[in-house]
Order: sequence, then C-alpha cells, then structure tokens
Amino acid sequence: MSDTFDHSGLPEDELLAAEYALGVLDGIDRAAAEQRIARDRGFARQVSAWEQRLAPWAAEIPEMLPPPQVWDRIAGALPPRTPRSGLWQSLAFWRGLSFAAGALAAVCIAALVYFGALTQTEPLVATIEGGGQRHFVATIDVQRGTVAIVPAAFRADATRVPELWLIPPDGKPRPVGLLRADAPVTLTLSGDLAGLAKNNAVLAVSLEPPGGSTTGLPTGPVIGTGKLTNL
Amino acid sequence: MDLDANRSLIAGALARIPDGDRAALQTVYRLTSAKLFGVCLRILGEHGEAEDVLQEVYVTVWRKAADFDARRASPMTWLIAIARNRAIDRLRASRRSRNMEAIDAATDVADSATGADAALESLQEYVKLHGCLDGLASHERAALRGAFFDGSTYEDLATRMKVPLGTMKSWIRRAMVKLRACLEQ
Repeated sequence: MSDTFDHSGLPEDELLAAEYALGVLDGIDRAAAEQRIARDRGFARQVSAWEQRLAPWAAEIPEMLPPPQVWDRIAGALPPRTPRSGLWQSLAFWRGLSFAAGALAAVCIAALVYFGALTQTEPLVATIEGGGQRHFVATIDVQRGTVAIVPAAFRADATRVPELWLIPPDGKPRPVGLLRADAPVTLTLSGDLAGLAKNNAVLAVSLEPPGGSTTGLPTGPVIGTGKLTNL
Repeated sequence: MDLDANRSLIAGALARIPDGDRAALQTVYRLTSAKLFGVCLRILGEHGEAEDVLQEVYVTVWRKAADFDARRASPMTWLIAIARNRAIDRLRASRRSRNMEAIDAATDVADSATGADAALESLQEYVKLHGCLDGLASHERAALRGAFFDGSTYEDLATRMKVPLGTMKSWIRRAMVKLRACLEQ
C-alpha cells in the first residue's frame, strides 16, 4: 500500500496520515483512518509525526478558562481504573521498597546538608524569571532559615495565587509558601527545607488556587524559576 | 525554562494516571484545560458543546494516558491532538456547517499574529512552522488554516473557496508535501 504514490511524490499512506492529522477527512474516510491507527503502528506513527508538525500552530488559539463545573463533571465521569495485577503489584512493591531506601538516604543527606548549612553565613539569592519577565527576587538568610521574596514584574491573577517552591537537585518540588504580588513576603524555611536551600537548588513560582496547592506539588502553571547562588 | 518546567510537570502527571491517580489527572487539567478549551471552542464555536467535548477529552486522557510515550511525543502535542479530534468528531456528528465567510479575514489576522503562548513548547518550532507556511501559496495556506482551525472537511473547503473537490484535494496534498519538505530542511 505504501508504494502507491500520487502526483505529489509522497506515498499514499503518508498523505492519508497528513489528511487525518489536519482533520479534512470526513465520514467513512475518517473512520477508516481511525481504524488503521488502531491496527497499524507504522501508520499511527506517521499520524503522530504530522500532529507534531502541526501542533505549534495551536499557539495562535487563545487560551480560555473553562467554567469550574467542567472539572466536577469530569471527576464524576471517570471510570474506575482496573488495578494492575500480579507482576505489576509486586513491581510496585519493589519500587516502594527502593523508594523507602532512597528516602532514608535522603534524610541522612539532608541532615548532613543541614548541619553543613549552619556553618554557612553568606546569603543566597535567586531571580525568578520566566517568559522573558523577572517576576520575583528572593534572598535566603541561611543562618536564620528565612527567605525574603520581593515582587518585581509579577502580575496578579484574579483567580490564582503565586506559590513558592524549592527544588533541590533531586528534582522534587517542596512547597515553601504563598507569595504576594503587591508586597514583599518573608517565609520561614522549616527544618529540612533550610538544609535543601543550597547553592544550585532552584526556586520556582507556580499559580495555584487560593490557599495554595493541596497536593504537595505544583498543580498550576509554573511561571518562573531561578537558581540559588551565593551573593 | 518555565516552559520546560511545565512540560515535565505535565509529562510527570500523565505518567501517574495509569496507576489510577486522580490528583494527577487534575494536575494535567489545571495545566492544560485553558488551552484545550480554547481549541475546542475554536472548532465548535459554542460554549456548551466545547464544555461537553472538553469533558470527553479528559476522560479520554484518563483512559489512554498509558499510550502516551514521552520519548516520542510532547505532552501538549498529544493533548492538542486528542482535543482537536474529539472536537472534529463532534462537529461532524452534529453536521452543523459553520459560517466560514471570514476565512480571508482570519488568514490576515493569523498571519500577523505573534505566537506568545504558555502552551507553546518551543518558540523555534513555531517560528519554523510559520516560516514554512509563509512559503506556501496563499490559497494553500488558507485551505490548511480552514482545516486546522475550523475543522473543515475537503467538501466544506471546496464549497467555500469555490473550487472543485478534486482541486481542493490536490491543493491540500501539495501543500502538505511542501510543508513537510520545508520543515525537514
């Protein structure tokens, strides 16, 4: 099938994938293409490649916040997922075990880092930038375990609040606290956070629902990040 | 950098959905629903329908998250494709043909638009695609725009641009061939 060419010089399959990804097919042609995507991996890959080529165009479509009840409807419509069986469960168990061991190691390292940090007196600074804007400037007083955040070009959002995250080299964001668009804020770094606030750790700001993220991880868009460096 | 951070947040949350993690789906929703709602609304032109389709989109994401392969595709590309396809299915099912008289005006607006967008993963990709689209003949570009942004079929486009169906097919096919060659340069 793929050796059929039309006048354009691309195989028929490739053109069909392009037409499907673009969305011009109708009725039986569209249904047939969908069936092939389900059965034929090579064809499915050609379709994905075309989706990838065209996707940047969607940047021209303005974002529009859906009304809040849409999420409730989605949450109510989710079918339960069938639990993974046998092998998967045991894999999850082993993963859990190795995670626990890793966490123990992390605690030991954090303790070392924390006691190390007590001897460090230089303040750490970070400029939190994103999308070509400097949103906040942060200064960490390592001895006191506080972080002072001054808003720069950050623009407030009517429905969401800025939340500060500390991302140490393990890549896992830790919540630090909520920020304000109109005034500087000083937050206390609790126990192990102070130990993680080191040179090369990253501060990030995300937009969260009022009161902040309830999951312990950023749930809204990350608007800016900045690396901590010694002054 | 913030875009990279968002991309990995979305990909990370998608990876947790197959374990039945509803909070992960909610994270994906918070990060992407404004973009996908915009996409649905653009194709369907009506809020109620766009909301219904948006719901279908995230239920599809919940069911199919295990199919997403972060090594092959970017999460936004995957999500946008789902949203466009569900919206196009709805459009075709309702057999409602939208008023497309604005196609020429739309071409002008979009050609001068700048692509600053939170969902845009790579400015370079956008600039490159735009450069390649600019290299097409204006009738080819208008036809591709009608298909991509309004979910028009070959027949809709042929009627609207007043050419035979066969001509429209060869315009679009030729345009896609040129586009691919240009993007691969």
